[in-house]
Amino acid sequence: MDLVIRAAVAFAFVYLITRVIGRRELSSMQPFDLILLVMIGDLVQQGVTQNDFSVTGAVLVGGTIALLTVAVSYLSFRFPRLRPALDGEPVIVVEDGKPIERNLRRNRITVEELAAAARQSQLASIEDVRWGVLETNGQISFIPKT
Amino acid sequence: MAVPDQLTLKRHRDLVGRERRPYIRWLVLALIGLVLLLGLANVFGQKPHTDTAAADGVELEVYSPEHLRSGLFFMSRFTIRAERELEAATLLLDPGWMEGITLNTLVPSPVGEANRDGRIAFDLGRVRAGTEHVFFLHFQVNPTETGRRPQDVELLDGETPLLAIDRTVTIFP
Repeated sequence: MDLVIRAAVAFAFVYLITRVIGRRELSSMQPFDLILLVMIGDLVQQGVTQNDFSVTGAVLVGGTIALLTVAVSYLSFRFPRLRPALDGEPVIVVEDGKPIERNLRRNRITVEELAAAARQSQLASIEDVRWGVLETNGQISFIPKT
Repeated sequence: MAVPDQLTLKRHRDLVGRERRPYIRWLVLALIGLVLLLGLANVFGQKPHTDTAAADGVELEVYSPEHLRSGLFFMSRFTIRAERELEAATLLLDPGWMEGITLNTLVPSPVGEANRDGRIAFDLGRVRAGTEHVFFLHFQVNPTETGRRPQDVELLDGETPLLAIDRTVTIFP
C-alpha cells in the first residue's frame, strides 16, 4: 500500500515543482539541466521504491504514475477552469514587432533569448514578428508579419 | 491586427485575472525553501542528540538521533561513567528501539541479553569505580517504517534501578 502512496506523493511533488519553477526553465534544456533532470529522477525513484526490487513493486509504481498522469490530463480536458492551474496559460510576449517587457520579465526571459528563439523560427529580427506567444510547454511560437 | 485564435489581449497580453500568479509561485517556492531550512535545522534527522542522567556517582549518557527517516543507518552510543563500582550494569531498552528498526551489530558484545517485562535487557557486566563503559548499537530503520515511539533507557545494577532517560524517536517517511 505504501508504494502507491509514495508514488502518488512523488508524482504530486514533481508536478508541483514543474509548475512553480517556470516554463522557460523546462523548455531550455542545457546539458546541465539534462543531468539535473536525471538526478531528480534517480532521487525520486529511491524515495519511492526504496529497497523494493520486485516486479510487483514496479507494476504498482508504474501503474500509479500512469493513472495519475491520465487523471490530471482528464481533469484538464473535462474542467476548463482547472486548466490554468494544471497546465498554465499562454502569454503574449511580442506584439507587432515590439517585445512586451513586463511579460518577459515575469517569465524571466531576456530580449536576447527572445531574439534567439525568433532566429530558430527563421525570423531575422523581432521586428519581423507580429505575435510572439510563450506557450504552456515553454516554447515561444512566432507569427510573422506578412 | 487580429489576435491568434484562443488568445485575448486582456487575458494573455495584459494578464488580467492572473495578477496573483507570481505570488502563488513565490509562496510555493518559499514553502519548499522552508522545508529545506527545517531539514538544515535537523528537524528531519539524523543528527544525534545527547541525553544525560546522573545520580549516586553514576552517569548515563545516550547519544542517539531523535529524528530519523526510513531506510537510514544510524548509531547509538551508551556511556556509563561510574564513580563507584557497579556489580552488574544492565541497560533496559524500550521495544521502540527495535520496532521497525534492524539491529545490525552491537559492540562490545554484552554478557547477556534478555527480555524483562517486555523490555530488552543488555547485561554489560561489572563496571569498576572510576571507569567508563561505552556500548554501541548500530541500526538501520526499515525502509517502510514511519511514526513516533518511546525509546526510554534505564540503567540498573542487578535488579536495582539507578537511572532512567525518557526519550522519543520520530521516523519520517
